[in-house]
Amino acid sequence: MRELLVRFVDWFRRDRLEAELRDELRFHRSALERDAASAAVPGASGRRLGRDTRTIEDSRERWSIPWLDHLHQDIRYALRGLRRAPGFAFGVIVTLALGIGANAAMFGVVDRLMFRPYPMLRDPASVNRVYLQWAERGEVSTATWSAYTRYLDLQKWTTSLASFAAFFPGNAAVGSGETTMERPIAAVSASYFDFFDTRPALGRFFTAAEDVTPVGAPVVVLSNGFWQGEFGGRDVIGQSLQVNNLSYTIVGVAPPGFTGVTEGSPRSLYIPITTFAGNQTGPDGTGYYRDYGWGWMETMVRRKPGVSAEQASTDLTNAFARSWRAERDMEPQLPAVEVARPRAIAGALKSSAGPDPGLDARTALWVTGVASIVLLIACANVANLFLGRALRRRREVALRLALGVSRRRLAAQSLTESLVLSLLGCLFGLVVAQWSGQLLSGLFLPVGTSFSLVADGRTLAVAIAAALVAAVLTGVVPAIVATKADLADALKVGARAGTYGRSRTRTALLVAQGALSVVLLVGAGLFVQSLDNVRQMRMGFDVDPILFVRRELRGMELTDSQRVALRRQLLETAQAIPEVEYAAYVNSVPFWSSSSTRLFVSGIDSVARLGRFTYQTATAAYFATMGTRILRGRAFTADDRDGAPPVTVVSQDMANALWPGKEALGQCIRVGADSMPCTTVVGIAENAVQNSLTDTQLFRYYMPMEQFRPASGIGLMLRMRGSASAQAEGVRKALQRVMPGQSYVVAQPLGTLIDRHRRSWQMGATMFLAFGALALTVAAIGLYAVIGYNVAQRMHELGVRIALGAQRKDVVRLVVGEGMGFALAGAAVGGTLALLAAGWVQPLLFRQSARDPLVYTAVAVILVLVAALASAVPAMRATRADPNRALRAE
Amino acid sequence: MATSRRDLLPGTLDMLVLKTLSVQSMHGYAIARHIERVSNDVLSIEEGSLYPALQRMRQKGWVKAEWRQTPNNQRARYYTITAAGRKQLGAEETGFADLLGAIGRVMGTA
Repeated sequence: MRELLVRFVDWFRRDRLEAELRDELRFHRSALERDAASAAVPGASGRRLGRDTRTIEDSRERWSIPWLDHLHQDIRYALRGLRRAPGFAFGVIVTLALGIGANAAMFGVVDRLMFRPYPMLRDPASVNRVYLQWAERGEVSTATWSAYTRYLDLQKWTTSLASFAAFFPGNAAVGSGETTMERPIAAVSASYFDFFDTRPALGRFFTAAEDVTPVGAPVVVLSNGFWQGEFGGRDVIGQSLQVNNLSYTIVGVAPPGFTGVTEGSPRSLYIPITTFAGNQTGPDGTGYYRDYGWGWMETMVRRKPGVSAEQASTDLTNAFARSWRAERDMEPQLPAVEVARPRAIAGALKSSAGPDPGLDARTALWVTGVASIVLLIACANVANLFLGRALRRRREVALRLALGVSRRRLAAQSLTESLVLSLLGCLFGLVVAQWSGQLLSGLFLPVGTSFSLVADGRTLAVAIAAALVAAVLTGVVPAIVATKADLADALKVGARAGTYGRSRTRTALLVAQGALSVVLLVGAGLFVQSLDNVRQMRMGFDVDPILFVRRELRGMELTDSQRVALRRQLLETAQAIPEVEYAAYVNSVPFWSSSSTRLFVSGIDSVARLGRFTYQTATAAYFATMGTRILRGRAFTADDRDGAPPVTVVSQDMANALWPGKEALGQCIRVGADSMPCTTVVGIAENAVQNSLTDTQLFRYYMPMEQFRPASGIGLMLRMRGSASAQAEGVRKALQRVMPGQSYVVAQPLGTLIDRHRRSWQMGATMFLAFGALALTVAAIGLYAVIGYNVAQRMHELGVRIALGAQRKDVVRLVVGEGMGFALAGAAVGGTLALLAAGWVQPLLFRQSARDPLVYTAVAVILVLVAALASAVPAMRATRADPNRALRAE
Repeated sequence: MATSRRDLLPGTLDMLVLKTLSVQSMHGYAIARHIERVSNDVLSIEEGSLYPALQRMRQKGWVKAEWRQTPNNQRARYYTITAAGRKQLGAEETGFADLLGAIGRVMGTA
């Protein structure tokens, strides 16, 4: 081993070693001559001098490594070749850099999203997140959240798990007075920290004794970043910190780099989960560990040694079924276990890799597939360029073969050349990846995720692997061509290829490139259409002008009348702001929250069986504020106050579901209980989405807040004149002035709540479009190169044609026709491939058929146009074929 | 790798060189001279086999080489035996003694 290393080192300093040996031999000879002259050595005079050359040859073997010598020669040969053809080298390196860079960047994103284990997590392979599934109206729901009571049940009734931890990432107002800010926090069980191999940077983590039902101790562990940022790294142990309405004692600081298992932005601090839950106001805070009404927290488990994830899932499922029965004993309207078929899965810790990954993660995976297609196209293109060069070099190769260079050596040379280019491509690819990775992570990853390739061995490894794959893919074909060369033929034909022969390999590569580009462009078209559909979609309210102002009481206890007074004061203040056109107080916000209660309608046994009915209570200006259209009847007004007959406005879908074929206006619904007085339907509103853009059942009813739970409400909806986002801060400041005590308001444009839901289409459209355009460009360059090469080969033939009377347009038609032929073949193959893949993309699209003939036709037209353009330049050159020269050469 | 000379038993050059160096560090010429002198000129060491052998032994880590001044103020490369070289020398000496004994016994009984 050591010897090998020394030999390797010697190989690099072989020139110096040889010089030293020469010195040594010179000394040897001079000593020998001196001794011979002085005759101090009897018989030395008769000895002939050793031949230096021989000695050096023999020694040289000791520091030469044949394959390394060859490699060295091949690399020099490759570099020399590239210097001679800088345009070729540039084309290849840029093409590969784009392909490799795209892949490295996408891998970096998907890896962070789905695979990379959380830092400091001990033995990540044995840790699972618990997913719960059950059937609801025939559809299986998957949840990562559950009630705390459920978490206790699973712990009690399972045997295969070594430990459980509960966690809840939320936001809380941290600090007091001026410095108060809403920050991301995590409420976690004491067992949470035991999942990690880590010690606190300061103090301690909280203990099981501080995490107890009904209410845990008010202790807090700071994140390292928060500690550094807010306390400058001072010793803070024992100090108090206000979180929401409670003062906490700081007991510890997490080590740097500790992120827990939180997806999304990093947490500022950690508090015991029972402290968090036990201090909630209302029924949540008193019953969270006994009943199942509040599903909120997430669970992770560590399996006992030797227990597989499947066994753990079975164990958890049995416990979940038992827990379901326990819940049903309290809530008899819950479906039976046999109907709901509750099931628990010990799945991936990252929910993007779990059983229900969500559109974002699935789209990210697709885009990764797209990135690898781009690499394939780049490889096909480079292989084609190499092949063209190999064909041009046929004579040189034949000559070298004739001179006795082995075919193996030639193939090795060709592979070395593509390896050198791929690695150079990889180098530039990393630059591309670093740059585009930052863009991508902004698109796909939670805010605050760092994306640096320098510190990222996994992504680097993937980039290098991609470069090696590219080297093999691009090097193999020309290597085969090099070794297959027919000696006699190539030498005989000589420099002027009189006959024009198409290379079948090159044709196939071109068609493949075209086909793959078509697949990507079809994808791009479908996603762009989806995004457009999402944007055009009528949500049932306006988005852009609406500002949502949430009021946070921070645990302040207000009486009902105080709440009503605050509401009126906020509304008055808001309406006094000149930019506010309308203002309404609401109890739920689309894409933020929804409310539902039991609903009774005469003639219908169980309204709940029809679907989920959500309600909105709001003040009178609600419909004007939101822009929700009243189709028939009327909106409620300020006259629908407490004491007046209760009224409601229902959505169109709800009216059709409850009273099919009948007049809904004037009908009676009873809200909350069978015994409640009639609430009369006075208007039908257009359908409005509530929680998800893909909801199909839009059953929603609206009630005046003055009539129904007047003390409820979570904030204001404001219709702004002009841009909502630009005025958010001004509105927040104005409204903050009327907030009592430590309570505060948060203003955000409604659009930001919805953007998250549009993101997967936004992502898909952006990425497919970018990669599709990239692929098309690369394919067009490839086509241009091949047609150009063919034209150069055909110059003689074209000259003869012109001499025989062919017109310019005939020649153009001939050349451009060839290019269009490639394009049409590519479009046909690519279109077929896209149709085959259509079934898989369909779920990712929004109200858009994956087989939309319009998209396919448009893409085919684009490809043919680009092909015509790419072959037009060589075609113009073809028309300049000189008939005289062609004839003279005959 | 050592080119065998008719006047040297195959494979013994390394042993002779190591044995020579075990006394003191020497340059190549001195090594050759030492072996020739001690063997009363029965063994002759050609530089054609000596220097490649020294290179090999250096790579194997048996000897170290460094440039020094000779007493005559010339620059020469001196070779020094290493711990690994001494171990190797011991092994070769034992092997060689066994071989000599075996040959002696065969020749004696003939």
